[in-house]
Amino acid sequence: MDTYDVIVIGTGAGGGMAIKTLCEAGLKVCALNAGRELDPEKDFRQHKQPYDLKFRGFDSPARRKISIGYMDSEYVSPDVWEHDIAYSTAPGTSWTWPRCNGVGGKTNFWGRSAARMGDIDFKAASRDGYDVDWPVSYADIAPYYTRVEEFIGVASTVQNRPSNPDGKYLPAMNFRCMDYIIEAGAKKSGIPYLPDRMAQLTEALGEHPPCHYCGNCTEGCDVGAFFSSPYFLLPKAQATGNLELRTNAIARQVLVDSDGRAKGVAYVERNTLREVEVYAKAVVVAASCVSTAQILLNSRSRQWPTGIANSSGQLGRNLCDHLYATAGYGYLPQLLGQPSFPDNVSSATIAWLPRWQNLDKPKQEKFIRGYSFYPGGGCDIYPYYAEDIEGFGASYKAEIKRRYPTPVNFTTQAPTQRSDKNYVDIDPEKKDKFGTPQVRIHFEWDENTLKMWEHSRQACEELFHNMGGVLEGHGEPQSPGWSLHETGTCRMGNDPKKFVTNRFGQTHDVPNLYAADASLFLNCTDKTTTLSVLAFSLRTSEYIVRQFKAGQHTSDAPSQG
Amino acid sequence: MAGQAPSRRELLQALTLAGIASTFSGFSRWNYGLAEVMEPHRHQDGPVQIAHAAYTPQFFSPAQYNTIEVLTDLILPATEGDAHQPQPGAKDAGVAEFIDFMVFTDPSLQPQFRDGLTWLDNASKPSASFVSLATQQQNALLERLAYKAKQRDGEKPGQHFFLLIRKYTLMGFYTTRIGLESVDFPGLKLYGSSPGCTHHGNPEHVGL
Repeated sequence: MDTYDVIVIGTGAGGGMAIKTLCEAGLKVCALNAGRELDPEKDFRQHKQPYDLKFRGFDSPARRKISIGYMDSEYVSPDVWEHDIAYSTAPGTSWTWPRCNGVGGKTNFWGRSAARMGDIDFKAASRDGYDVDWPVSYADIAPYYTRVEEFIGVASTVQNRPSNPDGKYLPAMNFRCMDYIIEAGAKKSGIPYLPDRMAQLTEALGEHPPCHYCGNCTEGCDVGAFFSSPYFLLPKAQATGNLELRTNAIARQVLVDSDGRAKGVAYVERNTLREVEVYAKAVVVAASCVSTAQILLNSRSRQWPTGIANSSGQLGRNLCDHLYATAGYGYLPQLLGQPSFPDNVSSATIAWLPRWQNLDKPKQEKFIRGYSFYPGGGCDIYPYYAEDIEGFGASYKAEIKRRYPTPVNFTTQAPTQRSDKNYVDIDPEKKDKFGTPQVRIHFEWDENTLKMWEHSRQACEELFHNMGGVLEGHGEPQSPGWSLHETGTCRMGNDPKKFVTNRFGQTHDVPNLYAADASLFLNCTDKTTTLSVLAFSLRTSEYIVRQFKAGQHTSDAPSQG
Repeated sequence: MAGQAPSRRELLQALTLAGIASTFSGFSRWNYGLAEVMEPHRHQDGPVQIAHAAYTPQFFSPAQYNTIEVLTDLILPATEGDAHQPQPGAKDAGVAEFIDFMVFTDPSLQPQFRDGLTWLDNASKPSASFVSLATQQQNALLERLAYKAKQRDGEKPGQHFFLLIRKYTLMGFYTTRIGLESVDFPGLKLYGSSPGCTHHGNPEHVGL
């Protein structure tokens, strides 16, 4: 029987960082990944022209029926995004859940926006009285952010904004014409328009080549010019000789010994449906927020009748997510008829409008905390706006060309706050095709978030006016889950009665069981999650190494108090 | 044109070349641009060559297919561009073939296209069919469907079909090399550095 030092469930940002850190410290790691390894040459088609794809990028009718949307398209192999592991939603809950279970998970396709969180986020409760502060201050985590930024490469500038601590950056990408026009309008509106924190290599970084700006990042990068776990983390772990990666291994539950401590993991082999057990001295769960909760809730035993490490009753609770919606779309008449310009570089998120609300005082607005905007537009690969132009013939064709450089839109990224209504549990009746009880999601937008959404539409209208743009309309909120920024379910805190994990991601109840993904986060803030997942996972992983060195996770060690 | 996208190995080689050439400013076209670096002898100058091989429709009858070809070319015709350079249209780009393929593979679209074509032929009476109308009359009929100001009561099915065929014409045209060149799509190329605004003397970008 093989026994490892640590089993890590998941190979994305959180799992990948844990795997690398633990392997480099000399620990023997067994990594479980629910899907197969991806082959960028075969599975990513980001350099294909639409006419090189059978359905020109519009997908086959069969695929259109099952596509989750977004990145689940003809540009990647059909099994890259998960379609086989079923889940439930409570009545009234709509949940779109793009899950990538290929090795590296969503880091293969992430949006690359990588802003640090700060004390305005960690101590938000002290400012406005809602919910609780994080058990970690910015001073605690800042060194880890710096190390992560140095390792993955983030392009941005020093901006001195109260909501956004600055980090260590590669040169920012250049502003395009549309950025200067929007920036001038934003200045009139009194809101910031700045280079985003983009985890995209504007310079070569070690063995990683610089970005070539083809503009199709979210279909996967086949040269690894932005951070992803398979290009940056897993090779380092593999080089140590301490990693065994088991693919198509869908973790079902954490196994416990007679003391209720973690002793291993039971998983289902995707292709054979066989259940396999693997044993280790410690277990790190980083399957991504909702799946991590599912595994722990399904880990029921005599000692843990409601799921392992759930004495607080908080496991699966406190689910948060970003509301994503197009606050406004239209065009910039200044650019009508101009030559085409590479405006879709890096999928058009080289700039952003970081949170500008409730900065001086916590309750200046009708809502607490804040949201951010991402601009989009420019010369897209397909002129979607053409369907809104009346007519046909030579004049129609000329108008499509004239409008081509001008489209512009803004996406609102508005966080929900902790709510008793938003949580996951286990469906009491349904099992997926692998025989595992399904996770069930309960979620609705809270009033505070909807007030942000309303505020963002007004801000967008004003911005269009100030930048001389023509506003044509706005979208409606995407279904929850769409942003891929879900947080909560294993929140960290100092009180074992109220929190699942401590400030290091170690479960209060089971000292050799850890979570290392966004399930730890108190809420989702106005920033994206990946950079923080990497920083917190690095911190957790080094804590685990210290525990091993102190003899805490040896098989005969006493339970840690 | 399958199989023209570069492999990862080729791309890494190209990036290495790009790093050496400090003045590298990006390829003009992804496909043959890369071939130019990798295999200079395979580079082709001049206009895109269109293969007009005989196409046998999979879904439409020959008469229906002929109508689709006429319609799509009325929607996005060949035009005279800047400096009187001819700009190919829907027929040159093989849009009718794309639509036939999409309708053939998606049965849910078939009734809409079949009924729409029938509606159009009926609306062309006393002429035998839409294609037998003079071009001027064909345009007049489409204008009646396309422009709100010219629309007639009772012609909803025709108006819907116009939007449907126009949508598929757009899809079929702007996903071809001809279509992407017609708007000078700037993506899917290699750039040596982050492409930025070059109009620093005119930061408002007015009247460029």
